[in-house]
Amino acid sequence: MSRLTPSLRAALFSVFALLVTGLGAWLLFGRGTSPIQTDLLAMLPATERHPLAEAAVERLAHANGDRMVLLVEHANDATAKDAARELGKRLAADPAFAAVTAELPPFDLDQLIAPYLTHRFHLLTDADRATLTQTGYDAEQALKRRLNEPFLAGIGVKLQDDPFGWLQHWLDQQPWSRSPLLPEDDLLTAHRDDRTYVMVIATLRGSSYDDQVQRAALAALARAEQTVKHDHPGIQLLRAGAVFHAAEARAGAERDVHVVGLASTLGIAVLLLWTFRSPRPLLVAFLSTAIGVICALTATVLLFGQAYLLTLVFGAALLGEAVDYSIQYLCARANAGPRWQAMQGVRQVRPALLLALATSLLGYALLGLMPFPALRQMACFAMVGMLAACLSVFWLLPALLTAPATKPLSPMVVRGALALQTLAGRIGSGRRSLLAIALLLLVAAPGWWRLGHDDDIHLLISPPAELSRQEARIRDIAGIGNGSQFYLVHGDDAEQVLQREEALETHLQSLVQNGQLESWTGVAGMLPSAQRQQENHAALAPLFASRAQLEAQLQQAGLRADVATAYLDAWPGQPLTLAAWLALPVSTPFRYLWMDQGKDGIGSIVLPQGQDDVAVLRAAAEGLPGVELVDKPASISTLFGRYREYASVWLLAAFVLVALVFVWRYGRAAPRVMAPPLLGIGLTLAALGYLGQPLTLFHWMALMLVLGVGANYAVFLHEGEPHAAHLPGATYAGVLLSAVTALLSFGLLALSSMPALQHFGITLLLGIGFTALLVPAARSAREYVSV
Amino acid sequence: MRDMNEGRHPCRRKSKSGHPWPHFSMTALLCWIALCCTTLGAQAQDSGLLQQILDELGGHTSVRAAFTQSRENPALAQPQVSRGQLLFVVGRGMLWQVDEPFRETLALTGGRTARVDEQGHAQPVRGGDRGVAQVSQMLQSMLSGKPEDALRQFDVQAEGSTARWTLHFTPRQERMARVLRRIDLDGDRFLQGIRVELQGGESTQIRFADTRDAGELSPLEKRALGMPP
Repeated sequence: MSRLTPSLRAALFSVFALLVTGLGAWLLFGRGTSPIQTDLLAMLPATERHPLAEAAVERLAHANGDRMVLLVEHANDATAKDAARELGKRLAADPAFAAVTAELPPFDLDQLIAPYLTHRFHLLTDADRATLTQTGYDAEQALKRRLNEPFLAGIGVKLQDDPFGWLQHWLDQQPWSRSPLLPEDDLLTAHRDDRTYVMVIATLRGSSYDDQVQRAALAALARAEQTVKHDHPGIQLLRAGAVFHAAEARAGAERDVHVVGLASTLGIAVLLLWTFRSPRPLLVAFLSTAIGVICALTATVLLFGQAYLLTLVFGAALLGEAVDYSIQYLCARANAGPRWQAMQGVRQVRPALLLALATSLLGYALLGLMPFPALRQMACFAMVGMLAACLSVFWLLPALLTAPATKPLSPMVVRGALALQTLAGRIGSGRRSLLAIALLLLVAAPGWWRLGHDDDIHLLISPPAELSRQEARIRDIAGIGNGSQFYLVHGDDAEQVLQREEALETHLQSLVQNGQLESWTGVAGMLPSAQRQQENHAALAPLFASRAQLEAQLQQAGLRADVATAYLDAWPGQPLTLAAWLALPVSTPFRYLWMDQGKDGIGSIVLPQGQDDVAVLRAAAEGLPGVELVDKPASISTLFGRYREYASVWLLAAFVLVALVFVWRYGRAAPRVMAPPLLGIGLTLAALGYLGQPLTLFHWMALMLVLGVGANYAVFLHEGEPHAAHLPGATYAGVLLSAVTALLSFGLLALSSMPALQHFGITLLLGIGFTALLVPAARSAREYVSV
Repeated sequence: MRDMNEGRHPCRRKSKSGHPWPHFSMTALLCWIALCCTTLGAQAQDSGLLQQILDELGGHTSVRAAFTQSRENPALAQPQVSRGQLLFVVGRGMLWQVDEPFRETLALTGGRTARVDEQGHAQPVRGGDRGVAQVSQMLQSMLSGKPEDALRQFDVQAEGSTARWTLHFTPRQERMARVLRRIDLDGDRFLQGIRVELQGGESTQIRFADTRDAGELSPLEKRALGMPP
């Protein structure tokens, strides 16, 4: 390495940077699909023990993924329907949608019923089975009752196919018989509180998370909505669908990236120009940072295949930390004046930079230990970015900064820094320092006392309130469960799964009877287990055992002789098999409830509706083998809580590690170097307490960074001071410059739309602010004089 | 299994499943009939007479009658005939008490069907025929003088005079028209007859006799209809 001349090394590094940039550009833009992941659910960690459960969560989240579900609402029935028709036509005419359903296709009742006829002697409702197995079942009486039901009898299944009504009863229980949305004027319509709601469903021409598909669909909807609202004043449009969430998440992240990225870039630029009073240092600093960010993004996409929005926003904020290395080098150059030699400068800042890099990498590596995709990605992004930025200072910058600086650091900045430094140094020396610490602790204690904690999932996923409101309204009107809690039933084979689901149904039925549950949807209701079908068949067998007797009874009750014969000829029929059920057109919308995941096993999803108390739902699954309630939001919250606790321990561990490094390097001065970051963290916690912010996992993650950054500053000051003894205040000015750039970038995260990043930002804002003010105390006043 | 008679509609993934639900059961169709009762005046046809009829019907808060129901169906060798007593209470529902050819009392309240025992206790009929409950719901609404929803689903023609009228309900919508041909109601001060014709060839004729205001309800009847004693 040392044999390479600085310019050759710089050339090699430039080639490397260009190659990475090219690769990054190809990964980002060259492959047609964007690797930016707008699906917020994708960054959640796996929380469920059973692999099927994770697959089920995924499937439920995406079952309705690539569709827009729209409800057109108006007080006037005809207006609502006309508007829905027009909306349907306009959306259908737009190439953004693959299919649009407003008006329903022709309907053939016989087509629905026909496939069930061969299975009719295997499908019974619980009530009918119970009645049939009672002693003294009177078939003739049952027939008479059925044939003389008030108002009508032969609707649905024809009387000749089902004289007892058993199949009809069973079909009445099928999910499709029970929707609150009913076809009216060929539209799926519901009436509620004197208002009419009409459903329009638009299927996207691709994934909701695909940028182009998303934009095209939303634009098409906006156009159609505008026209429809113009043509039918007073129309309300309720919307639901992953595409809206994805778009909101993208818009929020884009806004964040713009605000944070742009504001911090501008802020840093102004600051650097002001301090160095020349454009060259500014360009050099940005080049170094850009290399860091480009390498980070490229490495992240290479390693993970995609980049989460969270990572991008975090990456925008990382600018402020990556720029620190070049600032240190630029300060050394400015302070050296005409005596500047580029390689000499590198040697001078190298120990400080390496130490700072080591502590940063340590901090981010701890972050990366969390089994949490989003955090790992952020850690990877940060580590690669910091490393690349630091290496660029060693290998690229010397070639660009061979000439000495024309002007020293802005005297105003240096004077300000010196004033602060003297003040802090004075307070931080001798007995006064103990008094100062005691006072700080006294001020901080009530803040600590007020600290609480919060582990809710909304930290990561907080859909806009208006969108949530509309979705809740649609769920309410269409009668859909909340979807975040469900039962997973699993077993060795399909039969076992269905039997276990039937056991669960018994429990759920008693909840329904106690008024604790509205209903549920599951496969076993549509496809009884072979065992249950056998029971059904067995319940009917005694009746059909004596064909002559039953034939007589049928005729006695009033059925025509040929009808009775045909009915008896249909006995015993076939059981309904899984394959047959899956092949029924009517099962299409429910197939996603059935999970056949190969090696992960076979399972089914049961969706409860009308009960939000998880404890009640959980109790229903208790004691049932192969049945568990999956509650992803709760699992995530539990996980957040667990890692929040770990994080506090990790912070301590990291602190000990850093302290050990400092003891090795600074010996007896180590406690003094360590004190500013430690006090900075303490004061930050107190301030959060005073602000009433409950601590989350993300506050703790930020505190780890505060430790890393704070230690950096102490190191920069401690290592840099001897080289700038002739310029009092200049080293601290460099540290302050680093701190302000960090505040500009990380601090702006506090404006983020995502609570997790907000917490992250505010913690860094406070932590870095406190630490930067306290850091001059890292060297006692005596030391400043003696060196 | 799930209680079908709760008047609620479980298992509704369909709506979100997004698939244009190409099929739905017949009984779901009957939901419309149940819904059949709003927006009077939306119909131009004889709205004056219709309104007068509904006003008159709605004026009787509880009515008793003897009924004879006769049903023809292609599957039947001869018509099925049943006889019994009907008690109708506005806002509560009806008791359909069959005396012949078997004895049974059904309480049809809102969307629920229940079998009433000797003591007047109503046992919900689970897995029973929803169509029955739904037609009864429609009649309850009509007889209560609140036909708004009916007019969304049916063209209603009123014939005759308030002293002797007939209302013809024909489905406005093709889907329903494929199953249900027509429903006719006729009467004078009271409803005197109902005729339900299905496309499959079934026709059910109900005639009422001795129709009168019900007067005081017995404790048993009140219990069966879920009214305070």
